[in-house]
Amino acid sequence: MARFRHQDIQALTLQPTARMNQFPHSITFISETVLRGPNVWTYFPVLETQVDIGSLEDFPSNRIPGFAERLSAWLPGLIEHRCSPGVRGGFLQRLDEGTWPAHILEHVSLELLGLVGLQSGFGRARETEKRGVYRVIISAQQETVSRLALQISRDLVLAAMADRSFDLEAAVDTLRDLAESKWLGPSTAAIATAAEDRGIPMMRLNEGNLVQFGYGCKQRRIWTAETDRTSAIAEGVSRDKELTRRLLAQCGVPVPEGRIVATPDEAWEAAQEIGLPVVIKPTDGNHGRGVFTHLASQDEIIAAWKIAVQEGSAVLVERFIVGNEHRILVVGGKVVAAARGQIASVTGDGQSTVLALIESQLNSDPRRGTTEDHPLNRVRIDSAAQIELSRQGLTPDAIPAAGQEVLIQRNGNVAFDVTDQVHPEVAEQVCLAARIVGLDIAGIDLVAQDISRPLADQGAAIVEVNAGPGLLMHLKPADGFAQPVGKAIIDHLFTGESSGRIPLVGVTGGRGRCAVAQGVAELLREDGRRTGLACAKGVWINQRPLQTEDGANWKGARRLLLNTRVEAAVIENDSHTILNEGLAYDRCQVGIVIDATDAALDHPDLADPEANLRVLRTQIDVVLPSGAAILDAMDPVAVEMIALCDGEVLLYSMDAAAHVLLEHLKRSGRAAAVRDDLIALVHGTHEVVLGPVTDFVESAHEVHALNRVLAIAAAGWALGIAPAQLRGSLKTRVIQEFLV
Amino acid sequence: MEVSRVRALRGPNRWSQRAAIEAIVQCSAAESSAKALKALASELRVHFPELDSPRNLAHALAVTVLHLQIRAGCAVSFLHVATTSEHDTYQVVIEYREEAVGLLALELAHQACTALAQGKNFDFSSAVDRLRDLDEDQRLGPSTASIVRAASARGIPFTRLTEGSLVRFGWGSRARRIQAAETSESSAIAESIAQDKELTKTLLETAGISVPKGRQVINAEDAWNAALEIGLPVVVKPRDGNQGKGVAVNLTAREQVMTAYAAATEVRRDVLVEQFLPGHDFRLLVVGDRLVAAARRDPPQVTGDGITSVQGLIERVNSDPRRGGGHATSLTKITTDATTLATLLEQGLTLADVPAAGQRVVLRNNCNLSTGGTATDVTDQVHPALAECAIDAAQMVGLDVCGIDVVCQTVTQPLEAQGGGIVEVNAAPGLRMHLDPSYGSAQPVGEAIIDALFGADDNGRIPLVAVTGNNGKTTTVRLIAHLLAQVGHRVGMTGTDGVWVNGRRIDTGDCSGPRSARSVLAHPDVDAAVFETARGGLLREGLAFDRCDVAVVTNIGRGDHLGMNFIETAAQLAEVKGTIVRNVAPTGMGVLNAADPLVAEMAQTCPGSVTFFARDRHHPLMAAHRVRGNRVVFEDGGAIVAVQGNVEHRFALRDIPFTNEGQLGFQVENAMAAIAAVWALGLDWTRVRAGLQSFSTDAAGVPGRFNVSYHRGATVIADYGHNPDAMIALVEAVESIPARRRSVVISGAGDRRDIDLSDQTRILGQAFDDVVLYQDACQRGRADGEVLALLRQGLDGARRTRRVDEIQGEFRAIDTALRRLRPGDLCLILVDQVEQALAHIAARIDGLAPALASQLRTNRHPDTRLRGSAGLAQAA
Repeated sequence: MARFRHQDIQALTLQPTARMNQFPHSITFISETVLRGPNVWTYFPVLETQVDIGSLEDFPSNRIPGFAERLSAWLPGLIEHRCSPGVRGGFLQRLDEGTWPAHILEHVSLELLGLVGLQSGFGRARETEKRGVYRVIISAQQETVSRLALQISRDLVLAAMADRSFDLEAAVDTLRDLAESKWLGPSTAAIATAAEDRGIPMMRLNEGNLVQFGYGCKQRRIWTAETDRTSAIAEGVSRDKELTRRLLAQCGVPVPEGRIVATPDEAWEAAQEIGLPVVIKPTDGNHGRGVFTHLASQDEIIAAWKIAVQEGSAVLVERFIVGNEHRILVVGGKVVAAARGQIASVTGDGQSTVLALIESQLNSDPRRGTTEDHPLNRVRIDSAAQIELSRQGLTPDAIPAAGQEVLIQRNGNVAFDVTDQVHPEVAEQVCLAARIVGLDIAGIDLVAQDISRPLADQGAAIVEVNAGPGLLMHLKPADGFAQPVGKAIIDHLFTGESSGRIPLVGVTGGRGRCAVAQGVAELLREDGRRTGLACAKGVWINQRPLQTEDGANWKGARRLLLNTRVEAAVIENDSHTILNEGLAYDRCQVGIVIDATDAALDHPDLADPEANLRVLRTQIDVVLPSGAAILDAMDPVAVEMIALCDGEVLLYSMDAAAHVLLEHLKRSGRAAAVRDDLIALVHGTHEVVLGPVTDFVESAHEVHALNRVLAIAAAGWALGIAPAQLRGSLKTRVIQEFLV
Repeated sequence: MEVSRVRALRGPNRWSQRAAIEAIVQCSAAESSAKALKALASELRVHFPELDSPRNLAHALAVTVLHLQIRAGCAVSFLHVATTSEHDTYQVVIEYREEAVGLLALELAHQACTALAQGKNFDFSSAVDRLRDLDEDQRLGPSTASIVRAASARGIPFTRLTEGSLVRFGWGSRARRIQAAETSESSAIAESIAQDKELTKTLLETAGISVPKGRQVINAEDAWNAALEIGLPVVVKPRDGNQGKGVAVNLTAREQVMTAYAAATEVRRDVLVEQFLPGHDFRLLVVGDRLVAAARRDPPQVTGDGITSVQGLIERVNSDPRRGGGHATSLTKITTDATTLATLLEQGLTLADVPAAGQRVVLRNNCNLSTGGTATDVTDQVHPALAECAIDAAQMVGLDVCGIDVVCQTVTQPLEAQGGGIVEVNAAPGLRMHLDPSYGSAQPVGEAIIDALFGADDNGRIPLVAVTGNNGKTTTVRLIAHLLAQVGHRVGMTGTDGVWVNGRRIDTGDCSGPRSARSVLAHPDVDAAVFETARGGLLREGLAFDRCDVAVVTNIGRGDHLGMNFIETAAQLAEVKGTIVRNVAPTGMGVLNAADPLVAEMAQTCPGSVTFFARDRHHPLMAAHRVRGNRVVFEDGGAIVAVQGNVEHRFALRDIPFTNEGQLGFQVENAMAAIAAVWALGLDWTRVRAGLQSFSTDAAGVPGRFNVSYHRGATVIADYGHNPDAMIALVEAVESIPARRRSVVISGAGDRRDIDLSDQTRILGQAFDDVVLYQDACQRGRADGEVLALLRQGLDGARRTRRVDEIQGEFRAIDTALRRLRPGDLCLILVDQVEQALAHIAARIDGLAPALASQLRTNRHPDTRLRGSAGLAQAA
């Protein structure tokens, strides 16, 4: 939906070249503003910085010898920047032709952000009226990261200009560290992306992975792969492996026999009872720590017990199930992904040690690594691998004979996608397991030789049920297809077409803003919805004030969107908010512009009608395709916005004969208008009269009040409130008071 | 005195509805003498003056078990001592509340009686202490117990899932769980949010709820700076703490803040400094969108009298008998420790100092009941705006059960008006201060939580049908389950061949006991349950449920398994099986066979209504029952008829294929029982008719229950019948089927009485030409050949039998009989190892029967009509 509305900076007249032995120039950041929501530039958060380039105004890029070459050598990716020429290499072309530092900062910042994984950046550089002062606008998914990127860009550009050295690698590492600390984890990010694809708004509630999807009472929360419906008790049950096993067994789900043991001797006793080989693990451990499989001797069992007991509150001995580990992801009662683990082994060459073989044969696999980007972990000699090796009569430093197969890890990374292979009966069993534990999202660990066959046929069993399962193995499998698990979770949270939105009305314009916002909120409240109102007079939920200071801003609005009890919200945005903060919401159902022309009184920047349009249209740009814009047919600035709305347009007009109105009605549009001293809701050729003007305002001469009544009526109509009810609500004393 | 076969009857049982310990007690003649008994009684009475004269030694033991538990604080009252067929052997039954406590009480009582009888001493008070400790350890904590009580009051069944506080309410798909004051609806994320005090505060602030100003600090210096920014006095506390650990309040001096910071870091690394709100600590409990309780919490404190030292004042307060040691009482003794001393020091006092008269001395700055604080109920005083604020807070965090800590002067005013604030939001709040406040009235918080979990008309139960009887249980269970499935229920079903949930077998083997029934009730996919309730499980453990909607008793006849477990007569067996009838819900239905006197008698004990069924509509009981406006089901004019008053439903037998147009009498009875059962559950009749039509009794549908197949032109019937009543029914059924020559393959279970074994063949001998006897896989204690001899004995003088063979092994016997078959023959195979034998037969025979009814109709001879009814249904 992004429509960029500005022309690029015109190339200025070239100045004569100057020698720059010393480099006496500097770039100063005068001020910066973070626009956290839709704004005059774009629909996403941006960082807007005023930059003073001082004397560099006289040195466009082509007048600094070697600058372009040095810059593009440091940042070869700049060749991809198309810039105004609109072709690959476009920006480099502009560098050659001569462009100014603000514009260069924009591109360098975006390039740096791209290098640390924040692609799809938005950037602009604009002159101001003051010579040498520019505005640089870059996208700010994470404001601190964009801020640092801009600072690094300045240092880098100045270094390139002065032909100084610059430790780019260190700078990028710093930037990346910062970015990674602010990023959503990969599981959460996948869910967030899926939400975005469905048009569901998202807000982060903390620095971590706690995210709100949707607004007000329609919101749902997730925290990594847990949802607000994930039962705390179920999570507790899943952590207690012994209890889980008992509950599953009771419902006939195959689980390995086993029991809790208190001493190493008891472990050995239990192992003999159960039958060798066995598995030893902590009852409530995590991430496979202290889990030992395929233990067959008393020594091994006692050794394993001693490690396992340190990882949990008790130790469990279980029958060893032959087969591969599998992880099956169940979301909302359905299997959405399955992955299989693989045994890690090496083959001796008669020369290399086990450790060396692990490096050359396993860890050399590019899929293995330590970061989240690697689907497979590096293989290390941990305590379980030690046991495996000693069982084979080896140590990490031993040199296996040529051709000798050495088993290193029995339960390696479960990262091989097998979603398509899951037998329906297996799917039924794992879903039942999730239901028994009570989890809406569960990662089921099961050991089976072949996931495409029923469990009972192969002595397979479910060994664990996990709450808040990691999704990475399904998003980035080492082999096979990635599975749309983020989408599955979003579809589970928001069934059907729901996008988690509540009726949201945004109001901007001139003096009537607050009155109209209050009036529309009153309509919604009368309609029986718990309505939030953020306006210049404060923030309310129904009659309860949340604050009494000015709430017609980002913060005031956000209070409502975060509130779990808000069923509908009306938000006033003054031009200051749009220019300096951005809107608090991504999209709204109804956008109202009132007294657009007199908004110029608000802000000096709006004096020019073109600038006025540029600012106020932000409210209309974000109207949902299913929503409506409410515009004054008699206000020239508002009339300009008619074509900009993605949704329907409802006009209001003091004069039913206004040309724009008539044209609108001719196209079967809807409007609220005054004709013959009656207020009517008109739809093409049909109309419903709400009543004489004097039923709603003192007299027909109260033009401001009348205009506001019309805007409120049109908004109410757009919100689906029936004319009869509108008529009643508009006459109430409460609304009457707003209009004065 | 010997105590053996100790059992915990965990549910309603033959003796009582209450859970009880049952044991066999054997006494020697010497012990049983009147003199010895009198001596023991007088010894016991020293410790339990309330004791009546025991009737015998076993009685003395039982009484001791009961009273030991009562002394330990368990509310128990039921005991029963039954004589058995063996001399000086008794069954004692004593109620328990906690199984482990009951078992230990039995053990201790045994020791006590033995010691006293031998003139030795027994330390009763330490025994009681042990029991009391064990009980405190085992029983539910006060919060959980209050919720369980509330559930029970609403008739919602509960099951403890762990030794801790995890409890399941309700059954099957209707079940919910709690763990202390957490419910299955409590969100894990909401709990994490509540754990993060900063995040919680931000969310509450966003919602316009007053919270104290504050911030996280990085070191002691920063803590003091924060204190100055916020304004003194301040609170210092760990970010993610609980139970008031490491919290210091009302700090005004730099030194205090620094010290408090150090103390807080010992609990958590992240420490907050917050504005100190003056006023009292209140706890508001929100459940769902309702404020259900509020309490003011005061720290432990004493008031000076100008004479007594602080120490003395504390002792005086602690001498209040209401102050106990643990969590059990409304007041706890004031603890004196380092925190107390530090708190006193802040007030310039030591334990030895004597405060002035009227001087209030606070002993620690937190109000927890466990360290001596008090709680005063203020529920009725909460201002509506404050209540709304608490609900907002709970909803912002997302908790369904939420304890909100408020600091303000009074709850009678909104927070904003008095500068109060919410300082903390707690998941899984303790309920003790509301259930048992030190002052003021208790609040029904358990009720509120249950009401939030279960709608007004929901008691968490699923339709539950229990079926028992000698013969016909399995078929009846299957048929009722089949009919319930017709209306869309996912049915859980138990029986002698497994546990089934929604058509899938989840367990195999004999699953007619309470363990299997419990697994059905625990299964999340079960909408209705039908339980075959066999004698064994009833005796071993009692029922798996507190009550059922429908109890069906097919028949008792002359009984089965007699002579085992001290069940000697059919009447005693009826008493055991009648347990399910005695535990019908008051709104429920007993479905009883009117033609079987022992079954019909159970009507007297049924707390609900009774439906009688019998093929003979004119049976006196049927007629009388009907006249009184009760429900009856009978056979009339080729139909099963269900009647109550003017209401009559007819089910043509020709539309119930498995009865073979009514020729298989026992199947007609099974169908009548099932119709009566689903009538009680109010099933849609159209669906019931469809279900009766589609019900199949082949080996796949009801294995081992009159499964008919064909081999070499002969009819082969496999059945699991194994008692005389079953034989009568089978003979009756077989006689309705034309056959050139009839053969039967039979074995006997060694644990049955001699007479029951020989009676079976005595009956068969009247109807079969060939009898193949085989030796059972497991002789159940009999000598080799003993069972065969008894079976052969029954065939002495048989009217029809001409040939008798004895074969080793079930499969060989089956093969022998099948080999001899000629077209037009009939062979009845009484299987023992049901699944294996059926598989064996299936592998041998030519094919399954075409529709039995059509086969028989075409072959029917005029003289093979039913020859009267023995009035009993068949086949286990």
